[in-house]
Amino acid sequence: KAVVSTQSTGKMTADKKTTEVGVMIQNTFEAAVMLEKFPKSQIDIYVQVLQGDGGERCVAINATTLALINAGIPLKDYVCACAATVFQDSVLLDINNLEESYRGPLFMLAVMPQTESIVQLQLDHRLHNDHLDKVVRETIQGCRDIKVLLDRQVKEWTVEAAAAYEIKPRV
Amino acid sequence: MATRLSINEIRYIIDGVEQDFRTDGRAAEDYRHVELESRVLPNTNGSARCKLGKTEVLVGIKAEVVDVDVHAPHIGKLVITADCSAVASPKFVGKGSEALENDLTNILSFIYHSTETLPLKELCILPGKSCWQLNVDVLFVQCGGNLFDVASIALKAALHNTTLPKVRVSGEGIEMEMEVADDPYHVWKLDVSNWPICITLYQIGCSFAVDPSEEEVACSEGYVHVGVLPSGDVSSMEKSGAGNIDPTVLLEMVEVGVRVGEDIHNQLDKQLEAEKSLAKL
Repeated sequence: KAVVSTQSTGKMTADKKTTEVGVMIQNTFEAAVMLEKFPKSQIDIYVQVLQGDGGERCVAINATTLALINAGIPLKDYVCACAATVFQDSVLLDINNLEESYRGPLFMLAVMPQTESIVQLQLDHRLHNDHLDKVVRETIQGCRDIKVLLDRQVKEWTVEAAAAYEIKPRV
Repeated sequence: MATRLSINEIRYIIDGVEQDFRTDGRAAEDYRHVELESRVLPNTNGSARCKLGKTEVLVGIKAEVVDVDVHAPHIGKLVITADCSAVASPKFVGKGSEALENDLTNILSFIYHSTETLPLKELCILPGKSCWQLNVDVLFVQCGGNLFDVASIALKAALHNTTLPKVRVSGEGIEMEMEVADDPYHVWKLDVSNWPICITLYQIGCSFAVDPSEEEVACSEGYVHVGVLPSGDVSSMEKSGAGNIDPTVLLEMVEVGVRVGEDIHNQLDKQLEAEKSLAKL
């Protein structure tokens, strides 16, 4: 539910788009979370967009990955997401709202970086077949870059948490 | 918000308030530590984030030019919407938060609807035609008691840093035209020196307290919202919740509310002034 976002004001109730994104996040993490470890239980994920400026779905996925790790829920791998578009033959990664409004192809990829397997793929508008290979390669690289950032944060948390027990983990 | 408390815990909390020494050591008139951050949402005209104890609120203000209200053609409009995020509690998923949100929206709108106290005249662009409408979105990220007061403190801070584009009005009579400035530095700010703050006093046992924690709210029987202006005047008042309040106690509550309100206004204004010297706009 995005209340304070770019163009909209006032109250936004659960509309179709929000429900769709919710289902997308659910499907993504059903693939990534080790559900066998939690028989007969339910893991609820709540995502709140504080401010929207393009790429909300990707940020939601990256944030959920970190939140699940913070909660101590075992994952098969990180899930990193990145959005891209093609403009005048070059690929632009992580587009903002202004760039999205141009209505060029909007390509979103969520990837598990270690195996480089694609968990989610969404394409809006039209993308020429010639560009497809390039876009997929560069977006996967974008996801790999995000994984580096997420990893850094997780290692920071681990060191902090371990310091409370006076352990120095090797990270 | 139902918190599970045993009979002994309830007795302990009520006794504490009655003896002016609450479970966390505060007196009945003491507020918890307030953390305020302004201009946290760059896409809005004005914003603030306020944290009071466990309660955390995010306020964003967006302005748009609208047609003037037929009954009030010389003033602008203020529309407040409250939203409880599902992140605050699983109870708030879907329609679960509707009752609380309605309550919050109504009370906040009530505190901030007095045309005599609020400088809404400033928001008028073309009398009888167009005015600014400030859409205030209040988002509760965490709920830990005393939601109304935190929201109003954050609202005042957000209004303080709200920038509105300058409008150039040209022409005469029917042909009046207005041009909204495109330049992000061609802006003006509202005068918030006369905006009220909501102080809520909760009746707990035979006594009352301000800024209760969630457990204390669960033990309370009724509460009074007092809209306090920086001058110490009361702009609005409303009693909510189940429970009877004795008239003499009510007068005491209002007195305390005004005292606490003035103090908060002073401290808030000092901090907002200090902030002004940090930013360029």
